Amino acid sequence: MSEHRQPAAADRKIDNPDFSMVIASAVHDMKNSLGMLLSTLDDLREEQKGALGDNPRFNTLQYEAERVHSDLVQLLGIYRLGEQKLSAHSDEHYVAEFLQQQLARHERLLQGYGVDYDIDADNDVIGFFDDELISGVIASTLNNAIRYTRSRLQLGAREQDGWLVITVEDDGSGYPAHMREAGAELLKAPDFSSGSTSLGLYFASAIAHLHQNNGKHGTIRLHNEGKLGGGVFEIWLP
Amino acid sequence: MINTSGEHSFSTSIRKLRFLVVDDFENFRNSMRQMLRSLGAEKIELVHNGAAAVQRCAYDHFDVLLCNYNLGEGKSGQHVLEELRHRKLLHHSSLFLMVTAETSREMVMGAREYHPDAYLTKPINRAMLEKRLGALAERREALLPVTRAMDLEDNPEAIQQCLSLLSQYPRHRSWIYKTLAELYIQVGDYGQARKIYDDILSQRSLSWARLGKARVLLAEGHLDEAIVALQRLVEDHPDYLEAYDLLSESLKRNGKSGQAQKVLQRAAELSPNALLRQRDLAKLATQNHDIDTATDAWRRTVNLGTWSVHDNPDHHLALGRSLTDLSEGDPGGEGKEYADEAVRVLKHLERRFPEAPDIGPRTMLVRARIVAARGNRTKAMKFLEEARAALPEDKLSADAGLDLAKTLYRVGQNREAEQLLASLAQRFEGEAETIEQIENLMDEPVGLQQRLQARTLNREGIQAYEKGGLPEAARFFEQALDIVPNHAALNLNLVQIRMKQLQDGDRSVVRQHALAQCHRCFQALENLPPQHRQYRRYLAMKRKMESMNE
Repeated sequence: MSEHRQPAAADRKIDNPDFSMVIASAVHDMKNSLGMLLSTLDDLREEQKGALGDNPRFNTLQYEAERVHSDLVQLLGIYRLGEQKLSAHSDEHYVAEFLQQQLARHERLLQGYGVDYDIDADNDVIGFFDDELISGVIASTLNNAIRYTRSRLQLGAREQDGWLVITVEDDGSGYPAHMREAGAELLKAPDFSSGSTSLGLYFASAIAHLHQNNGKHGTIRLHNEGKLGGGVFEIWLP
Repeated sequence: MINTSGEHSFSTSIRKLRFLVVDDFENFRNSMRQMLRSLGAEKIELVHNGAAAVQRCAYDHFDVLLCNYNLGEGKSGQHVLEELRHRKLLHHSSLFLMVTAETSREMVMGAREYHPDAYLTKPINRAMLEKRLGALAERREALLPVTRAMDLEDNPEAIQQCLSLLSQYPRHRSWIYKTLAELYIQVGDYGQARKIYDDILSQRSLSWARLGKARVLLAEGHLDEAIVALQRLVEDHPDYLEAYDLLSESLKRNGKSGQAQKVLQRAAELSPNALLRQRDLAKLATQNHDIDTATDAWRRTVNLGTWSVHDNPDHHLALGRSLTDLSEGDPGGEGKEYADEAVRVLKHLERRFPEAPDIGPRTMLVRARIVAARGNRTKAMKFLEEARAALPEDKLSADAGLDLAKTLYRVGQNREAEQLLASLAQRFEGEAETIEQIENLMDEPVGLQQRLQARTLNREGIQAYEKGGLPEAARFFEQALDIVPNHAALNLNLVQIRMKQLQDGDRSVVRQHALAQCHRCFQALENLPPQHRQYRRYLAMKRKMESMNE
């Protein structure tokens, strides 16, 4: 009902743009467009099974679109963090089931790249976390791992010293030393001049940090001491 | 170690279910049907828009709805969900899955009530659907004894079933505890509800349990405790809109309607698309005499109503009223624009709700005020007479009565307006909000700007009085009474000053003049109804005056 316009006096002025909000709404639009694009790509893959076969360029198309999509989701998340509009609404979850659902989303891409994958978690490991936020972190970590792994990926969950630890392991060449040693540095907002911290890791740390219990905050750890011999990404949740 | 192909097969529980897929893209509908079939589903129906979805559900029962959020022109997925739940077309056992291209949190932020059972983020593939749907279908089946009892509105039975399923399905205990606590609140057993929330909170601070606990505190009448708990909750979770809603409600019930409005405004900024929240904000702002905010909120309420089951002719009328109030306060160009907008709103209302009771005469009353505000008394009288001829004066609703009284004031029929308000005050004696509106109208039957001016003068008069400046205070009250001659408190304030001056033997006051002025003040309040807050003060002062006269 566009006829209920505000009196003209109100729209005679031109507002000074709130730049971060302009960016945020642009990012929002781009993200939704990419969502449509990804969905169409998926349909196309299904429709053109015979013609496309295992065309690696199709994988690249999908992979890159997924990557931009998850970057945009992160950007929006960071905007909301800055606006203090984001908080963790934790609830009880069966972690193995949750991880299966995360993997399912990337199944086609993993198959397309010929990457083997499995889940190492007891069926009744329970965790308290905000499933949407953690799901975003896992999606971007998986994306990253697909890029660096050789042939295998493993999602896992365990309880250790009263923490829930969710892991993403690959058999690539592992995280470089400066990333493994970043520690608390990860929580600092990305500094583009030094290029020291990646947006993805900052986002993951911030999301982990939003999770708290009895004064303890969640955190992430990177190391190369995994069973697959590559990098290990760990989210520690209190 | 489990493998990712999923060791339990869900197809048995999925096969029996009836599916309705709602999407505006044929490709998506077909690919969804294909995926569902491959998961074992046999009964699948497809519709292409929200209206069709609602209609199908009115005639048939579906176990699972897969509904796209964005359905192009017309109802959105959220509208469909709201309408189905509001009209009770969806069983408690039914699953409503919202399919979105967006991240779900934004959607959750939009809704005030009625959340879907799950969000599925596009792109959706078969593996993903199998995992999500399988888990949900399994939970649905396990909890059927509870949801069946809820469908029959047999809450005690639902509570019993929850208690007995708790040990059988530890996997679903989170859902069961949530549901159980809500059921206890519904049957009024706040003690049991509180115990559940306390038990959960003693282990972990979960936002939903904190909100539930606050709801119990509010229901038990512990307003202050509820307010503190909710303020902390909002601090920890600034994105938790339901907490803002409940906080606003608690503040309002505690008599802090200004703060309540601020809280609701913040929530409405975070999520501008929830119709009911905008409506509540509009009502609160009207009550707080913040007509600008009220008008904006009514405008949003009306616009959001286009496809919503919550649209209501009263919202359109209220927008028309607010705009008229604004136009009365401003004889200049902007006032004209408000008046024009009000006329458009009313015309649209008559087209949209031709069947609503008394809609013609009720819009006519607001129209009479619009033209009266633009100085066209003849036309105002004509509208007024038409409306009165069609309205049963002895059975007027409070809103229509107030509109009628306002219009009578605008065309100068003050006596009649006062008599009408007195009879309304009698009829709506128990309704505090209506009585307050009647009092305000009686005291200040003028436009917004003048009302504000009179209020400022009154405030300055009281300040002068408190500092002992009686003559100065009297001048302020006199000026205010020039604007609102029948304002009860103002008249009594002036009488109080004059009587004090006479008692003190103030030489600057001429006794005859002062007594005459008091007499005029009491005359102005002749029709003050006994329900008015100033009525007892009026009686007391009148008696005192009479004793002074003797």
